[in-house]
Amino acid sequence: MEKATNIFYMGKGGVGKSTSAALNSLFLAQKGFEVLLVSLDPAHNQSDIFEENLSDTPKQIVPHLTAVEIDQDRWIKRYLKDVHNQINRTYSYLTSFNLEKYFKVIKYSPGLEEYALILAFKEIRRKFLQHDLLVFDMAPTALSLKFFTLPSLSLIWINHLLALRKEIIKKRELITKVRLMKKEIETDKVLSKIEDSVQEYTALKELFEDQERTKINLVLNPDLLSFAESKRIVNGLKEINIFLNQVIINKILCDSSCEHIERELSGIPIIQAPFSETPLIGLDILTRFLKENEDVMLSQPLKVLMNGVK
Amino acid sequence: MMSFLARMKEMIVEIWKVGDKVGRSKAVEVIETEVEEMENIFGILVLGSFVGMPSPPMQISLDLMPYMEKELILMMEKVDTANEPISQLFSVFNIG
Repeated sequence: MEKATNIFYMGKGGVGKSTSAALNSLFLAQKGFEVLLVSLDPAHNQSDIFEENLSDTPKQIVPHLTAVEIDQDRWIKRYLKDVHNQINRTYSYLTSFNLEKYFKVIKYSPGLEEYALILAFKEIRRKFLQHDLLVFDMAPTALSLKFFTLPSLSLIWINHLLALRKEIIKKRELITKVRLMKKEIETDKVLSKIEDSVQEYTALKELFEDQERTKINLVLNPDLLSFAESKRIVNGLKEINIFLNQVIINKILCDSSCEHIERELSGIPIIQAPFSETPLIGLDILTRFLKENEDVMLSQPLKVLMNGVK
Repeated sequence: MMSFLARMKEMIVEIWKVGDKVGRSKAVEVIETEVEEMENIFGILVLGSFVGMPSPPMQISLDLMPYMEKELILMMEKVDTANEPISQLFSVFNIG
């Protein structure tokens, strides 16, 4: 495979996103695929599920399966430090000195949380492109939706800024032409940065929209509350042109009825995962559960599986 | 006679050049003020959160900030003249 496929696990808090992501990662690794399991949920669960001390540095769990828990705060600090250093390099001493106090509070600004996740995601894609699958265990609905809408929302702003900047440069060129009788050749750094951002956000948006490279799995339970929130996720993603790969109805009991889910989410492949009496914690229990439910795991509409197990 | 005509021609050309310079300079001054205003708007749009205005997602402001010292200083300067916009406009058009 030329480029890694992303598999995201989304859903309401407590429906079993982390366990589903862990089970599928383990299953695919056992089948011989090179898998990296990434927890993007600030309240990490993968350490507890695998009974391992996971951190920001990838750690091997079993052959072919590596896991990492993204430290969101570290990414925010790293990003702000980069911006701060750049300002210190380009600004005069006095201006940069006056901005010091702002940087102490910027880290608490809304919006930086999801941007930190985007930065981590981009870094993971860059570093682990040769893996077969990158499995992302996402945060509950609100933060996940913000994560996916960030490129589209940023593009709206950035395109407006681009138009205004181009207008400014056009007028500036006119002034230089009249004053100095020649055209200004110097490139505008702000314009270059805006154009770079347009490219970056467009690439990210296209990656999220590409159903070949990005698979989004929605996890829900048969209860009405988790179903209602799941419908909001489906609609929220549809608005930004992102479509689901499959729906996993998790923790199904003998008397659970899934008809309403199948009816409302018709057209999206649905797989049903049974409720486990034993808490799914630890490698042995996870492996046993996978053996007992292999048919469920094999029924997922994942191209790598369809192309034949390794 | 010829030298007088030549001197006259030189003078007329000189006057024309000065007039052209003044005309160009006047025309450009208005455009310069317009550009300054546009740069101020751009600064407020991008860095508005630093002066309490609604702003784009924080990462857009922060990504562009290292390249916008000029706009940042301009925004600060504009604060001083913000309460006298009419007098500023009059000075641009040389009224009064």
